Amino acid sequence: MPPIAQYVFNGIVTGGILALPTVAFSLLWRLLRFPNFAVSTYLTVGAYAALALNAGARAPLEAAWLGALLATGGVALAVDRIAFRPMRDRRPFSLAIASIGVAFVLENVVRFVWGNDFRAYDVPVTRAASVAGLRIGHEQLLILGVTVALMALAQAFLLHTRLGVAMRATADNPLLSAVKGVPTNHVIAVATFGGGALAGGAGVFLGLDASIDPLMGGGIIISVFAAAILGGIGSAPGAFAGALIVGIVEETGTLIVPPTYKTAIGFVIILAVLLVRPSGLAGSRS
Amino acid sequence: MRTITRRELLTRRAVLKGSAAAGLVVGVPGMLSAQAKAPINIGTLCPLTGAGGSYGPDMQRAVVAVVERINKAGGIHGRPVQLFHEDDQTSAEAGVRAARKLIDVNKVVAIVSTWASAVTLAVRPLCVEAQVFLIGVSGADAVTQGEHKGYVARTQPNTKLQGSMYAKFVVSKKEWKRVAYLALQTPYARSFGDAFSGILRAAGVTITDDLIYEDKKPSYRSEVTRILATNPDLIMLEGYTPDSVVMAKDIYKAGYKGAILAPSFAVNAKFIEGASVEVSEGIWNMDRAPLFDSPAYKDFSAAVPRNDASPYAPQAWDQMSIVALALAAGKGEASGTVIKDNLRAVANPPGTVVYTFAEGAKLLGEGKKINYEGASGACDFDAIGDILSAPFAVQQVRKGKSELVTIINP
Repeated sequence: MPPIAQYVFNGIVTGGILALPTVAFSLLWRLLRFPNFAVSTYLTVGAYAALALNAGARAPLEAAWLGALLATGGVALAVDRIAFRPMRDRRPFSLAIASIGVAFVLENVVRFVWGNDFRAYDVPVTRAASVAGLRIGHEQLLILGVTVALMALAQAFLLHTRLGVAMRATADNPLLSAVKGVPTNHVIAVATFGGGALAGGAGVFLGLDASIDPLMGGGIIISVFAAAILGGIGSAPGAFAGALIVGIVEETGTLIVPPTYKTAIGFVIILAVLLVRPSGLAGSRS
Repeated sequence: MRTITRRELLTRRAVLKGSAAAGLVVGVPGMLSAQAKAPINIGTLCPLTGAGGSYGPDMQRAVVAVVERINKAGGIHGRPVQLFHEDDQTSAEAGVRAARKLIDVNKVVAIVSTWASAVTLAVRPLCVEAQVFLIGVSGADAVTQGEHKGYVARTQPNTKLQGSMYAKFVVSKKEWKRVAYLALQTPYARSFGDAFSGILRAAGVTITDDLIYEDKKPSYRSEVTRILATNPDLIMLEGYTPDSVVMAKDIYKAGYKGAILAPSFAVNAKFIEGASVEVSEGIWNMDRAPLFDSPAYKDFSAAVPRNDASPYAPQAWDQMSIVALALAAGKGEASGTVIKDNLRAVANPPGTVVYTFAEGAKLLGEGKKINYEGASGACDFDAIGDILSAPFAVQQVRKGKSELVTIINP
């Protein structure tokens, strides 16, 4: 039996990759009041944007990653203008369905442009180092480090900037904040761009850690959804904690159940949270 | 749905007669009789996209090349073969939709060259129900098991034959005493693993772990952690290309220095490109081999130039040839039933060995017995539609390219 610590570490890395889209998904849900399933496809868009820059334009992966943040943020903004903004006053259910439609469209645009084959970035694969009996990869550390830094930045932005405060105000009470002079559309645009950029950045990590294919984002939406519910909708630290827990439970779960049931673990978490604590870890409203 | 009226039929006949006359004027006697009669419709259902997308296009080209030859030789009982191509996207759901179209709209008598087991299994009931003959390259045992009334056959060895050939190679390498089995969840993962592990255990090799994993996961670190904790000398990795890339990278990153054996359909040029040259280095891979010295293989290679030596396109070539010969062995009616009734008569011994449709059709016309030997092997079928033997090629990736190491014969 391998040491459980290795599984926990593996889970933390998986959680790190899940954390960024979960935060985007959770904050956008709170702000716009519907679960935007297109967030999963923003991962795919980000991964391919970086691929175009890295493998296509021969840019180093760091530059390609920054490019992917901007490109995916831009795509998210465009999607919001075209699909969600005209539907802003509809019921959340309609918007959720529309977001699934958007996900399909984006996925197929990617397939049309890049084809169905999986791809990989032009970076060398390195062997993991052994630290105190734990196998820790260079990329894994990088992914974790960047994720934590981005999470801290997002949290600082929400707590300490005018725009961040405006965003939280709009999330809490859109009508009141609009009356008080908060530029709602501006706030939504910034949140949409930021959410898209976070998800796009995570897509590059996912592509780096595994491989790039048009369905890659869709494959983790259940885990993202579970992490967001677990963390409590609308809380950035909650989403981060939720993602880590889902990652760890998914990986250590393979010790007990066969790995073929990994996806089912996400569903079990969703069910359990909804039954026991519907507001999630950090949620206050029921 | 629109029905064809009697008048339209008559007009159509008149047009066909007209074109026959035109053929006479131009003076192509071989084509004349073929064009004068209604074509025989046959469908291809190859994976042009998805996990099998590296193989489908070549398989389809092989079928097209055979049909060109058949039509040039005057068709089957004077009727030309008309092909209808569909892409199964390596997905059971897309495969079923495409098969429905081929059967209901194009009225095909046979569907040739399905690839993934999941697709073949999904379209099988449709074909059996419509009495359409189905022949593919899928390996899962279930493909030919159960009631199919003879309408299903394949040129790919069943998992028992495959598992035993893989095991035969592993046993021959004395340094592999501890083997871990790591397989993607597919219809054949369990049966292949049982055949493979059974023979190895009997030969005194320890099976250290047996793990079936799920497709489309962002990482397989925990699966790899579990497998490596059992200290294998060899990991038998039985998956498709996309998941095998992620798995092989995770195995490499985890510091494993032992050997890996995988099917060549997973460890192909796309794999090496995706996993990188370092990760791929030294990976053993094997698959059913074409019959490289067969005259039919030489014929095939000249007609279908390609970049690899994968076994599927030669099988597609043979499938189309056998289907056509089985129809030629009938009395002139074209149906799936005629094909299934004559399959073994044209493909199995006894009979004069033939390597092409033209040779075979000529002998059949003279009332002789034939035994088709193809580009992919002897193509002899047992009672349920499985082939009886196949050579296997063992390759190893060296500096970013798979090189042939040895051929294992049954």
